Amino acid sequence: MNKRFLTHKQKEGLAGYIFVMPFIVGFIALTGGPLVFSFIASFTNYNVASDMEFIGIENYAQLFTADQIFMTALWNTVYFVLFSVPLTTLGALFLAALLNQDVPGMRVFRTIYYLPAVLSGVGVYLLWMQLLDPTTGLINIALGWFGIDGPNWLFDPDWTKPSLILMKMWSVGGSMLLYLASMQGISKSLYEAAEIDGASGWKKFIFITVPMVTPIIFFDLVTSTIGAFQIFQEAYVMTSNGEGGPANSLLFYNLYLWNKAFEAFDMGYAMAMSWVLFVIVFVITIFNLKLAPRWVHYEGGDDK
Amino acid sequence: MVSWKKTGVALGGALLMLSGCAGFTTGDETEEETALEEEGVEIVDFWTFWGSETRRPIIDKIVADFNESQDEIEVVHSYYPWGDIWTKELAAIGAGDPPDVVINDINATALRGMEGQAESLTAIMGNNDISERFYPELWEATLYEGESYGLPFNTDTRMLFYNKDAFEEVGLDPEAPPATWAELEEFALMLDEKAGEEYERIGFYPLWGVGYDVWLTNLNGENYIDQEGNVSLATEENAEVLNWLKSWRDRLGADTVDSFKAKFESNQGHPFLSGELGMMIANMNFYTQIRDYAPDLNFGVAPIPEYEPGNGFTSWGGGFVAEIPKGSDSPEAALEFMKYLTDVEAQTYWAVQNFDIVANREAAELAAQSEEFSEDGRMVYEAGTENMEHTILTPVPTVAPDFYTLVNPEVDEFLLGEQTAEEALQNAQEAVEALVEQNQ
Amino acid sequence: MIDQRVAAKERTRERYMDNVNNRKQLLRWFNFILLAAGSLLFLSPLWWMISTSLKSMVEIMTPPTTVFPQDWLWSNYARTLEAAPFARYAANTIVITIIVVAGNVLANSFIAYGFAKIRFKGKGFLFAVVLSTMMIPGFVTLVPQYILYAKLGWLNSYYPLIIPAFFGSAFFIFLLRQFYMTIPNELIEAAKMEGASHFYIWRKIGIPLTKPALATVAIFSFNGAWNDFLGPLLYLNDSDLYTLQIGLQVFKGQVSTQWNYLMAGSLLVLLPVIVLFFVFQKYFIQGMNLQSGSKE
Repeated sequence: MNKRFLTHKQKEGLAGYIFVMPFIVGFIALTGGPLVFSFIASFTNYNVASDMEFIGIENYAQLFTADQIFMTALWNTVYFVLFSVPLTTLGALFLAALLNQDVPGMRVFRTIYYLPAVLSGVGVYLLWMQLLDPTTGLINIALGWFGIDGPNWLFDPDWTKPSLILMKMWSVGGSMLLYLASMQGISKSLYEAAEIDGASGWKKFIFITVPMVTPIIFFDLVTSTIGAFQIFQEAYVMTSNGEGGPANSLLFYNLYLWNKAFEAFDMGYAMAMSWVLFVIVFVITIFNLKLAPRWVHYEGGDDK
Repeated sequence: MVSWKKTGVALGGALLMLSGCAGFTTGDETEEETALEEEGVEIVDFWTFWGSETRRPIIDKIVADFNESQDEIEVVHSYYPWGDIWTKELAAIGAGDPPDVVINDINATALRGMEGQAESLTAIMGNNDISERFYPELWEATLYEGESYGLPFNTDTRMLFYNKDAFEEVGLDPEAPPATWAELEEFALMLDEKAGEEYERIGFYPLWGVGYDVWLTNLNGENYIDQEGNVSLATEENAEVLNWLKSWRDRLGADTVDSFKAKFESNQGHPFLSGELGMMIANMNFYTQIRDYAPDLNFGVAPIPEYEPGNGFTSWGGGFVAEIPKGSDSPEAALEFMKYLTDVEAQTYWAVQNFDIVANREAAELAAQSEEFSEDGRMVYEAGTENMEHTILTPVPTVAPDFYTLVNPEVDEFLLGEQTAEEALQNAQEAVEALVEQNQ
Repeated sequence: MIDQRVAAKERTRERYMDNVNNRKQLLRWFNFILLAAGSLLFLSPLWWMISTSLKSMVEIMTPPTTVFPQDWLWSNYARTLEAAPFARYAANTIVITIIVVAGNVLANSFIAYGFAKIRFKGKGFLFAVVLSTMMIPGFVTLVPQYILYAKLGWLNSYYPLIIPAFFGSAFFIFLLRQFYMTIPNELIEAAKMEGASHFYIWRKIGIPLTKPALATVAIFSFNGAWNDFLGPLLYLNDSDLYTLQIGLQVFKGQVSTQWNYLMAGSLLVLLPVIVLFFVFQKYFIQGMNLQSGSKE
């Protein structure tokens, strides 16, 4: 077809497809296949090595009717998501606001606060085990200064999840960076106008900074919800080989899935679990996307 | 500007030369391997997780010795980290291009046999059975429906370590460790040392170093779940064990217990090494940590005390096997190498250098006499090999490989005082039975 | 009279401005103290790593845990470097990381522009597909993904580690889309009026206006590639191709870990990440000057 015969709208559409083409190609050629495979195999008894047999919805049926641990794992995960997502989002936002001020040594401070986000690996988790030690750990010692008798953090089933949330709070440096990047786009004239009206720092934060970074708050909420539902590494390391911690209180969804897939070699079952998780997270995300226009402010105008 | 560009190009070039340009070519054989294959030599890919300073040279020497000993097979050893090695193995099996020999956990060998991830050695060996060279308990663990899926390589056993100086200090005979649970408790109380509210030394706590399951095994002489998935958890004896375990926790206090437990789990700052713990149950090769980090510690080893005289000193062990992953392209050559790996010479060498109890019985007994051990070393090793007599393995039942996720939380809740021992055991029993039924 | 009034007003204004400036100055120091106090908390793990890296194993294994090493064993660092061919691993890691960062910045910026600023059929659906790729736990696609790369003949090469970076990743596409959304539509319409193509607009308007965001993507994907462990471990067999993160594993054992060497190695590996972040910060500082620069 000759280009001249394309209407403006068609041209626009063509440009759109060209721009998103790399993703489409990558999805079809590399990442999509394994996803589709895992969906199909969730209806089989796939175990990697032998031929798989189609068993219908048996995996799914078992999950919802017979598997007691499934509900424990789901509950643990939902608990973690409910607390960690709002807390880390708020924490990152405040930290970014603080680090967006003119304070001596700002570059050094930013590096320091970002640091925990790049420190990873077993060493960090072991450090936290020491920090959270009920008697000799720094955290309970510090609480003791205020006359608070600190809990048994990693050994009390009621406190294991808060321990992990605390750890997550400590590494908000990653999201902090996103807010910081976003705050660079706020025009200084907005702040100046507010200053003339005598607005305080707090008011400027609430009425200018926050609305202007809502696109990133939204992004942070959506991605950290998706991420929090898949929490694994922390729990795996802190519960000696992923056994789930005291009274299975740290047996998160992905940890249980891992055990099913790589310890019990029930890969089909694990794949069914992953698609159940997918549906849950997908519904929440769609809900988020639908709600977004009510509070997310795009300076550039509405989504075209 | 120009000079910057030049530096950049030079740096980039140097980087590419230093790095594996090979990363941009495909194919997973090196040139030497291809050349060898052309000469008709069979290549055996051998994966282990023994990459540390101490272990790597030992396994490398065994491999080199094997390669020297004949000219038909060339073994190539690769090291991958503990844990991740088996993730990689599983993916490689899925892709149909696995290595030829992998060191794997003995407790799931039968399971992998059932799942079709490992080749049946019985099918390759035919009548050439070599089972008699191993400790029978180990060989048993490799069997699924009568066929073996791995050759046992090494093993271990849980024993009681005690601080002889502390014994003497409180007036106990350092040559007479506790032999029964009652003595254990009696001695522990004597060894406890308090300064105000804080313990300066704790005599003993049964759940540091091992789990409740080892104590159940110690009393019953067998695991609470067998290979067919028959569960015997809800018994009076088991309830007694759990109550006994809890009595220790109640006496010492949850805070003390948890604080010490944190130290064990971090693998740093071990309280037994510093004399803060009078007695503990540990793997027999805990000796190497004493040797390396607390050489002056005056200690002894003994079997885990028995429930009451005559009940038996049953202990628990694990170990590793060499397996041939499903899809290996040279299983016969792989088996040839595995036979060498589990023969007396290689096994004795490994035993002595690594302070491991090896699966080959003759080699283990030879090693116990080795001149290369120090006096302490020989004492511990000998006690260890003798303890093998009481040591049982608990391979995962193929019908409920992840049963522990159902039992552990019940026991935890009991220890935290949220339910009685009978309730915990009854709940666990029912849950595991349901799982077995599901999987059958 | 008028002069006096003006002068009085001027004095009030000065007093007011002094007041404002004083308050600002006070706030500045308040923030400084707050940040400095918090730094201690955030730096403690780093100190723990440094002090562990300088201790002997005997000291590490014998309680009580010390805050400062008894003897400062700087030789631990030399021994760490001898334990594996780290120069080669570093070169490998740098090559992989540079390519991955370039791929991520380029591809994601391109794709995200399409999702943010062009209207086309099926965009909503496609965007849902993009987000969906984040929602399936990686463990269940690990084996099929490996099989796919095996079929492509990419095993034991860098392709599985670098090629996917050129096809975009959901996290970055979504992130950059959010930033593009804040670019005024009028700006783009105006450019189009003048006959500019979307490609031209992306290059000349999109990229310059999203620099802080691209810097973020660069930092994140640098960290991702630099610290990736599972990817190289799964796909590389030839030890000449290994990366730093695999190299560090030699210090971890099944029974005991050589904490001092592991920490020394981890710190050395961490160093470039910190330096890079420090340097890249200039993209976040521009804006700060815009906001408060009027004062200094």
